[in-house]
Amino acid sequence: MRILAVEDEPTLATQLAEGVREAGYAVDVAHNGLDAHFMGDTESFDAVVLDLGLPQMDGITVLKKWRAAGRTMPVLILTARDNWHEKVAGIDAGADDYLTKPFHMEELLARLRALIRRAGGHASAELVCGPVTLDTRNNRVTVEGRALTLTSHEYRVLAYLMHHAGEVVSRSDLVEHIYAQDFDRDSNTVEVFIGRLRKKLPPGLIETVRGMGYRLVNSQ
Amino acid sequence: MTLVTLRGSLRFRLLLGTLFWIAATILVAGWGLGSMFRQHVESQFHAELKTHLDQLTAQLTLDDQGRPMLAMSLSDPRFNKPFAGLYWQIDRLVSPGLPTARAVMRSRSLWDQVLRVPADSPASGEIHHHRIAGPQGEMLGMVERVVRIDELPLRLIVAADEGLMIEPVARFNKMLWLALGVLGLGLALAALVQVFVGLAPLQKLRAALGRVHRGEAQQMEGAFPAEIMPLVEEFNTVLARNAEVVARARTQAGNLAHALKTPLSVLANAAGGKDDALARLVAAQIEMARRQVDYHLARAQAAATVGLPGVRTPLGPVVDGLVRTLRRIHAGRNLDLVVQPIAASLAFRGEAQDLQEMLGNLLDNACKWASHRVEIDAAIEQDRLVIRVDDDGKGIAAEQREAMLRRGIRADQQVPGSGLGLAIVDDLARMYGGQVVLTDSPLGGLRATLILPAVQ
Repeated sequence: MRILAVEDEPTLATQLAEGVREAGYAVDVAHNGLDAHFMGDTESFDAVVLDLGLPQMDGITVLKKWRAAGRTMPVLILTARDNWHEKVAGIDAGADDYLTKPFHMEELLARLRALIRRAGGHASAELVCGPVTLDTRNNRVTVEGRALTLTSHEYRVLAYLMHHAGEVVSRSDLVEHIYAQDFDRDSNTVEVFIGRLRKKLPPGLIETVRGMGYRLVNSQ
Repeated sequence: MTLVTLRGSLRFRLLLGTLFWIAATILVAGWGLGSMFRQHVESQFHAELKTHLDQLTAQLTLDDQGRPMLAMSLSDPRFNKPFAGLYWQIDRLVSPGLPTARAVMRSRSLWDQVLRVPADSPASGEIHHHRIAGPQGEMLGMVERVVRIDELPLRLIVAADEGLMIEPVARFNKMLWLALGVLGLGLALAALVQVFVGLAPLQKLRAALGRVHRGEAQQMEGAFPAEIMPLVEEFNTVLARNAEVVARARTQAGNLAHALKTPLSVLANAAGGKDDALARLVAAQIEMARRQVDYHLARAQAAATVGLPGVRTPLGPVVDGLVRTLRRIHAGRNLDLVVQPIAASLAFRGEAQDLQEMLGNLLDNACKWASHRVEIDAAIEQDRLVIRVDDDGKGIAAEQREAMLRRGIRADQQVPGSGLGLAIVDDLARMYGGQVVLTDSPLGGLRATLILPAVQ
């Protein structure tokens, strides 16, 4: 899962990025409206945390432009201006949720999880595929009740596949959603992560669709 | 309309003044014209009498026995018709050897009557005027002169019924007052039309002002006469300036919030990861600072707008926007947000953002507390806008409700920000002269009733 954090205040941006990264997401940070718009327009994100008071282009405009261009990723607005007039304007511009500063990092993460889950059509915080259960609240993966230890990249690959269980996920999709932009991307490493996951998970769970990518199937 | 409001009415004053002058002018004109005509008729009457007297004098002569006689009878036929109203008479005055004799000669019109002339003897060449009673009791105008024919002093008298003079004067007066009455009526009507047409822009001004006051218009609209236009423009400028000041106050408050809250966020996050005394102190103080900022900002923003004229906010669109927003924010909770149909005429006499703030907080609270259902209903009751927000949550114990409306006390520590929300709503409502009332909801939870001034 890959998140775009847009915040112009450098310290807060760093804290945001750390908090979100610790929760198991890949994070990109934008410090102004123009960068944010460009990144959101050209890269794939699973959710965006968007500050409204941004230099160069304000957050509402960025959001409207994304929505006008058909970008549908969930957007959580994070702003100091917390009157209802602005909340209504934010939601009408296409935001999915609203959080006012100062905020608790736990609440922000809870809202993010809920947004990503809802975007994937999942009602519960626990994603289940056959014997495998992934709890998005604490990043725990269990197989038939037995806890599984995963590296952060392995977790991201599995989480993305679980959010899109039953769908074919291409290798480039995976690359886009598990790495931040500044990361040295190599699609071969995806194969390495898939290989490791297959060893840790029950056989047949991750299916290779020739020439297209991978699919998580409920083998039972 | 009472007398006081009548006296204060410009229309009434103008009308009263104009009507008074019209009446006064017509009375003076009527009196003046009437007396002029009367004088004219009177002098004509006397001139006629004198003509007859001259004729009588000219025809008077003595017969061979020395008795007065007329060489030719007078031309006016009325002298020959009994009691026709025109008479002549010749008296013989005292002279040596002869006593006074009345009516030695008289017109046929006098029949057997004698004109009772005051004892009087005009000197030669003088003509005297008198008014005497006539043969039938009527008043006669009379002229007399004394002539001596062969030393015989004779008094020549011509008299005519004053009715002959009064009758045309009365007829003229009747016509005169009728004409003046019609003129007066016409003038009064013209004055009425002028006052109403002339002052129509003031009526329009009042209507426009009323619309602004009721919040149906932001500015005074329409074209006004040059005398009033500067006033209207000035007023509109003041209104626009007010709106500008409010917008600036809001922006500045927003900027202040932004400037304060971002550093607070940084502090909160820096302290958030740790669990020592300092971190807890920082967290508690940040929470307090946030509440203070929220509370005072909300108040400051509302204070800028309370009591401004020309502000009206229809309720429907505000509720729609908030419900849209809350449905999205609470999308994960499977909540039923039900809005009872809101009449398009329902409107709040106040600023849109303040209404949004009050309703938004109430609805957000209801959504946080509700288990499945939130209902919104609005109506005008006793000239006030009454908005009810019901939820099916656990509700609040009756004894706790008062405390909920006081600043900064939270009923449920699990749900962030809920206590302050209600306190702000009640505070804003009170600034507008309204209030929030908390009661049990028929849905099982809390009913928050927001009472606000309505636009009629």
